[in-house]
Amino acid sequence: MRVKFWGVRGSIPVPGRSTNRYGGNTSCVEVRPRGAVPIIIDAGTGIRRLGKSLVEEGVRGASILISHTHWDHVQGLPFFSPLYRDGNEFHIFARQRDTHLEAVFSQQHHAPYFPVPLTAIHADMRFHELIEGAQFDIGNAKVTSARLNHPWIAIAYRIDVDRASVVYCADTAPFTDLLLGREFVQNADLQTLPPPILEELAEMRRGVVALCKDADLLIYDTQFTAAEYKSRPHWGHSRPDDAIEIAREANVKQLCLFHHAPMRSDDENDQILADYRQVVAQANDKFSLISAYEGLEIPLGDE
Amino acid sequence: MKITFWGVRGSIPAPGPETNRYGGNTSCVSIETAGGALVIIDMGTGLMHLGNALLRGAFGKGGGKAAVLLSHTHWDHIQGLGFFAPVFIAGNQFTVWGPGGTDGVLEGILEGQMDPNFSPLQTLKNFAAKFEVKAAPQGEPFEVEGLTVVAREHAHGASTALSFRITEGDKTFVFASDVGYVDGLDPAAVAHYAGADALLHDTTYRPDDQATRRNRGFSSYEEAADAAIAAGVKRLVTFHYDQDYSDDDVDQIVVALRAYLDAHGGAAIEIVPAREGDSLAL
Repeated sequence: MRVKFWGVRGSIPVPGRSTNRYGGNTSCVEVRPRGAVPIIIDAGTGIRRLGKSLVEEGVRGASILISHTHWDHVQGLPFFSPLYRDGNEFHIFARQRDTHLEAVFSQQHHAPYFPVPLTAIHADMRFHELIEGAQFDIGNAKVTSARLNHPWIAIAYRIDVDRASVVYCADTAPFTDLLLGREFVQNADLQTLPPPILEELAEMRRGVVALCKDADLLIYDTQFTAAEYKSRPHWGHSRPDDAIEIAREANVKQLCLFHHAPMRSDDENDQILADYRQVVAQANDKFSLISAYEGLEIPLGDE
Repeated sequence: MKITFWGVRGSIPAPGPETNRYGGNTSCVSIETAGGALVIIDMGTGLMHLGNALLRGAFGKGGGKAAVLLSHTHWDHIQGLGFFAPVFIAGNQFTVWGPGGTDGVLEGILEGQMDPNFSPLQTLKNFAAKFEVKAAPQGEPFEVEGLTVVAREHAHGASTALSFRITEGDKTFVFASDVGYVDGLDPAAVAHYAGADALLHDTTYRPDDQATRRNRGFSSYEEAADAAIAAGVKRLVTFHYDQDYSDDDVDQIVVALRAYLDAHGGAAIEIVPAREGDSLAL
């Protein structure tokens, strides 16, 4: 398979000279099993260019796995041009929630927010609701999932195909300080958590480590620096340190920093990567460390 | 008044080296009045960068006050709101004037943007600043931070948007974006723009691209030119460039617009191509 990054940014797209190298589009990763249509993870603004590329290539369908429906992970969907073509077929997978998934997308597409209603989509669009921990097959690919620690909850996906594996782990906070769910957490005050909450977090962390076990590539939300995390632990994002701990425990082969903070310049991202490469070198970690940028393509297993 | 462009792109932010010169952020323009007040037009992704710049002044300390004129609530005109740092600082005060007809309808739409399915903010009530939402009166002047504003509703595809005629002393600036003329140039629109010192008008498309997308409700640079000529404005500000146009494409639009104006009786109209970070003093 091949993994290609079309959007690597968190929260909001950031055009401008300071993001030219890493890219300013929000989350979208393409996983292309050998000889099969793409499995797309998240539909941030990066999916717009992926759509153009698929039209040029003549690809008529894909599966789209949604980690969660925050805007930076779904904003590109109305601009994904293959949706407007008759005969194309798309399968959209996302977590089951109170609002029916299709209703969520209908709301996104609805006036007053967007001029084109969902009914204008010509492709066959099928919505699949997932329960946390769901396992299912897409062609030859085996997909597994786990819950993440994020406001309103997000899910991580692992794809095993072509004798290789990739895990997409965004968005998530570390599993130590706060349990994020449906309650709005107003401030950053960290206090000692009661044992049942700590156990729930530990359980969630075990699920993530198990999901990542021996993966060839782990893509992880590392939006925050240590200082930023300290002031905003309730925003639901991790530091490279958290990703490294999970990568180490799960024995992954390659860790990829992802979901870069919007105001992070290319030079700052370079520096973060250089700093943490020293950290993993000093710790004698077995995995290699990279940082996601738009256009990065990684071959895994059988191609 | 001093007009500054923070986001000039249409429909969806367009990051990448090919949009560096004009900018890839969506609709946001600020006006610093002669009296020193701040009025913001639209809340696209450019608003985040305006907000970060404002933190250096009174807004960083909770002593800022501004009004926002909102043309319509399509996502590319409101996406910056949740990332506008001054709304998270107690003491700052904002009043949004926009479409919807009633305060409650407009507030409901902005509230829906923060719905927990879409945003971790969950509700506008989580803003620390005072944040008031008001339906803009239409067709009659109202006062905003010392400016006199007249809002006019125009067709925008299947929906509508507001254009704003903004006057301070003897200077007039008109903001008219996402304009989809239905049966050619609308005389009422021309009257709304008449004699402006600067008319900002969307020049979303080249005529050939517009021909296949007329139902989307945007103007070509030729329609913007026709409006500017008919209204006898001094300057035409190009704006809301299609997300697929590179800087070179926009350069070509500006050249073609100059030729079109010159050939149709608009030789005296100055073109101001809106670029992120540029300002225009009237």
